[in-house]
Amino acid sequence: MRVLIVGAGPAAAAVAIALSKSSDIEVQVIDVGGRLEDENDAARLRMSKSGPSDWANGDLRTVSQTAVASKRHRLPEKRVFGSDFPFRDFGQLEGVSVEGDLNSHVVSGAYGGFSNTWGAQTMVFSDATFDDWPFPRSALEQDYRAILNTIPYSAEEDDLAEYFPLWGPADALPPLGEGPDRILRAYERNRIRVRRNGVLVGKARLAMRGAECVSCGLCMTGCPYSLVYSASHTFDDLVRSGRVDYVGGYVAQTLGEQEGRPFVAARSLNSGRVETFHADKVFVACGALGTTRLVAQSLGMWSRRIHMSESQQFLVPLLSLRGMKDLTQDGSFTLNQFNIVLPFDEAGHDLVQIHGYPYSKAMDDALPSLLQHQVLKGVASALLKRLTVGLGYLPSWWSPGFDVLLTRPESEGALAGMTLTPSAAGEELTVPMLRAVVKRLVMSAPYLGVVPVVPQVTLSAPTKSYHFGGSFPHAREPKEDLESDVLGRVRPWRDIHLVDASVFPTVPATTFTLSIMANAHRIARCVIEESRG
Amino acid sequence: MAKDREPLVGVTGSNGYLGSALVAALRAEGLDVVEYRRVAPDVIGNAEVRQLDLGGPMDARAFEGVTCLVHAAWDLRETDPRRAWERNVEGSKRLLESALDAGVERVIFVSSMSAYFGTKQDYGLMKLSVERAVLESNQVVVRPGLVYGAQSGGMASTLAKLARLPVIPVFSGAHQFTLHVDDFLAAMMTLVQSDEVPSSVIGLAHEPATSFKEIMLALAPGYGGGTKTIAVPWHPLLGLLRVAERLRFPLPVRSDSLLGLVRPASGVPGRDVAHHLGLSFRPFSVAAE
Repeated sequence: MRVLIVGAGPAAAAVAIALSKSSDIEVQVIDVGGRLEDENDAARLRMSKSGPSDWANGDLRTVSQTAVASKRHRLPEKRVFGSDFPFRDFGQLEGVSVEGDLNSHVVSGAYGGFSNTWGAQTMVFSDATFDDWPFPRSALEQDYRAILNTIPYSAEEDDLAEYFPLWGPADALPPLGEGPDRILRAYERNRIRVRRNGVLVGKARLAMRGAECVSCGLCMTGCPYSLVYSASHTFDDLVRSGRVDYVGGYVAQTLGEQEGRPFVAARSLNSGRVETFHADKVFVACGALGTTRLVAQSLGMWSRRIHMSESQQFLVPLLSLRGMKDLTQDGSFTLNQFNIVLPFDEAGHDLVQIHGYPYSKAMDDALPSLLQHQVLKGVASALLKRLTVGLGYLPSWWSPGFDVLLTRPESEGALAGMTLTPSAAGEELTVPMLRAVVKRLVMSAPYLGVVPVVPQVTLSAPTKSYHFGGSFPHAREPKEDLESDVLGRVRPWRDIHLVDASVFPTVPATTFTLSIMANAHRIARCVIEESRG
Repeated sequence: MAKDREPLVGVTGSNGYLGSALVAALRAEGLDVVEYRRVAPDVIGNAEVRQLDLGGPMDARAFEGVTCLVHAAWDLRETDPRRAWERNVEGSKRLLESALDAGVERVIFVSSMSAYFGTKQDYGLMKLSVERAVLESNQVVVRPGLVYGAQSGGMASTLAKLARLPVIPVFSGAHQFTLHVDDFLAAMMTLVQSDEVPSSVIGLAHEPATSFKEIMLALAPGYGGGTKTIAVPWHPLLGLLRVAERLRFPLPVRSDSLLGLVRPASGVPGRDVAHHLGLSFRPFSVAAE
């Protein structure tokens, strides 16, 4: 059987992992394939061969550059090894426009997709999340386990396992930063008092090789030792072993089925020519919005509003009375270090999650402008020493999400225009639920030793969370053309499977890349099983 | 449960009120039972009583041969919340993992109607935490209501003592979901012996609830005839109990127990499952006891 995977992000990697176990399946991947610049890659490579004390200053400067926030009080867009390549337009953002404060860098053209720059949080969805899905979590368990057995994983058993089982062998996390460590110890001491306020705290769970971490503090700008998982690692391995034929430099334009066989028409970024790829099965994994446009363009869904569900992000600065000794990101890893979970029902369906980040240099620019004044540098430093940044997420049913509107391509061979607009759906719940979250944090403050800086709590604009999907949600029996079956098939197709977050019926507040991978793995596994009768 | 193994039921907390009654009922039904006690009378030679301490390390061998484990043990002696959590919650989670690793097919965790979402009670919060772990392992949780019967134990026994006071304190709006001990035993018998029991929370109690005043009058000597009651505001009483606990005064009722009485659950969960399994619970009455 010949299989074509469109895209090379986490969902595509999960399909490749599932297919790679069958030697009789020929797997080809077509992808935009944007790469890190040679200069930055060379610096990263040199650094990976020695310890932090031997790094050249020039290399360190190159790989640890951060971007400047476009707005005050906002975190800047991330950079990876000093590059913006996960967000850059290699051709895949052609025709994308946004209204209001929305983010236009919504489709990655990078080899490995947004997993080049993700927070690496790796958590199974709660069982009750699947109350809104057409299959139970148990249908995904073996796929979660398969992914967690394949990618690096650092996690520990704690109170969060009450909703989120570990489901895989894991390294311990590297030593935590001073602030997060203090918060977790305070939770241990005052657990019942904190839980009385509807708050649970536990360590982060990350797709990283924790046992090998040297605590150089560069996680947020790219691990020089490649200890943090990226889908590109999976494809590097599979290409090296000959299990996958990877073809970069193509932007998929349309897809469909002719005479019962699927095809993908993709434009070469080198020649500009549109070429057609055929296969027995096609798995579409361009990221939720990339896939939405590809499918909607192929099915001619012009001038229709397609709603995207999003788990809306909010930022909550947490200040502690005691600060860290020195204001430095060295000596610790700087990814998410702990999670605050706030259940709003008994079953764990309505959960809000906050990821706690220790100090990293990227926070300097996010301070209020007054504090960036030279005269107040000491005050700013004292504040930053006491600061833990919480990046929180509301579930999609309490978030407005956004709409996608497609217009016909301007010329033959071009991508359809895709305009992202704010949506009002669910918005009425967003602010009240955020208030309820903040209230719980305030009530727990004396016991956790950190106070939420309430005036600085901000909701991010739609699209900024990157946790969106649901344009073609799974349904047991799809009734509309904007629904897919449980194998990600949209009518009238039979052998084209959408496998990324575009098929999620809901987007809970739980970090979602692992679940994207598990669901993509499930679809690929079931397709193989089905094709073999 | 699988039919290829001889059924053997383990009961933790078998010297407690509910545990001992359950062991007797299971044996009367002809079932083989293993009792688990903190201190076993004869660890080596006695096949029916095995040693198991929630506060200690778990050995999967303790569950050898057990097909169904009813976990009713809970150490109420520990009053420090942190130590109580470590012993009861962490201990129960270790027990659960160990039992499942050893091949126990069904674990039934005896929780409490005090464990409900939103409770502020320490006991309820601890039980809820264990419930989550049990449900994540696809096992069964039961929440008995206020258990009463011919030989009451636990909270009903404490309330019966309080009901002997010349003037009985009652709390406005307080109520309890009640459970006759015979209904508890019948329900547990069904849950232990049924081939299929869905992983869920099953409330074992009669609904609607009975007012606290009605319960106290029924428990009073002579069924409350001529007994006086006095409405007590519970907030100040709760504060007083907490202060007394800090001062280590011996008290008939803990502040945490009072919270459970005055802030009960709003309903009985899992009624559909209980109905499907044929479980029934009689309305509150102590007249026949």
